[in-house]
Amino acid sequence: MGESLGVTASLGVLAEVRAFVRSAVGGLGADKRTVSALVQCVDEWVTNVVVHGYGETPGPVSVTARRDGDDIVVVVRDEASAYDPATAPSFDRDAPLERRPFGGMGIALIRDLSSSFERRAPTGATPGVGNEVTMRRPALTGGA
Amino acid sequence: MFTSIDRISDSVAVLGLDGELDASNYRDLMTTGEQLYAEGVRTLVLDMSDLEYMSSSGIVALHSLALVYRGQAPHDPDAGWEALHAAQADAEAGGPHDQLRLVAPSEAIDVVLERTGMSRIMPVFPDRAAALGG
Repeated sequence: MGESLGVTASLGVLAEVRAFVRSAVGGLGADKRTVSALVQCVDEWVTNVVVHGYGETPGPVSVTARRDGDDIVVVVRDEASAYDPATAPSFDRDAPLERRPFGGMGIALIRDLSSSFERRAPTGATPGVGNEVTMRRPALTGGA
Repeated sequence: MFTSIDRISDSVAVLGLDGELDASNYRDLMTTGEQLYAEGVRTLVLDMSDLEYMSSSGIVALHSLALVYRGQAPHDPDAGWEALHAAQADAEAGGPHDQLRLVAPSEAIDVVLERTGMSRIMPVFPDRAAALGG
């Protein structure tokens, strides 16, 4: 079944969300790199939900972590504006500082640090509202 | 988030970071770094040896401060592309600059620096002495 956390999204709860992921993913047998990677992924996504999804009107975010065979699976659900990360512009990490945008790094990091990253509309959600994001990574990093 | 500000000289300062650097506090780092620049600091060493976590918001702070310490106007991250393109950039200078120096990031933070390309833009040192050229 895994563990769950439900909070009202704000920048002030990011530390609590990270602490939950660190504890839950670690408790599922993940190694240090996978714990760090999934903490980063969830933090980056929830930050986007807070800043760009809910904006001035905070709403709920839930985080669930479970084991699926050799993988750790983390699911984040919200009721903010629908946002498809597949539409995010690619981030050029080789661009000089003067030519790179300030945004877009969070999604790029999630793509880099997870083995799969999928977003869908939550079941029964009002069109245009809500996101269910699933991030997956092997519990044991191996030689990576 | 800050443990210490050590003024090594009129133009060199070391900022010790601890705890977690995220979207809730990255602007504090930008403000402190900009204040030090306004006071005459031209080389800023960020000691990350006690920093436990850094999100991409921290990278935004490093990015912004790197531009400030190159003598460019500070940017509002919310202004995005437009502000960046409006900046008078010595883009052809490209390459690494050492006005901003990083010290002893953890393995997880090093991954973030590497994946965002920051570790190729600003030098990373194993300890303060190395960063200060000791």
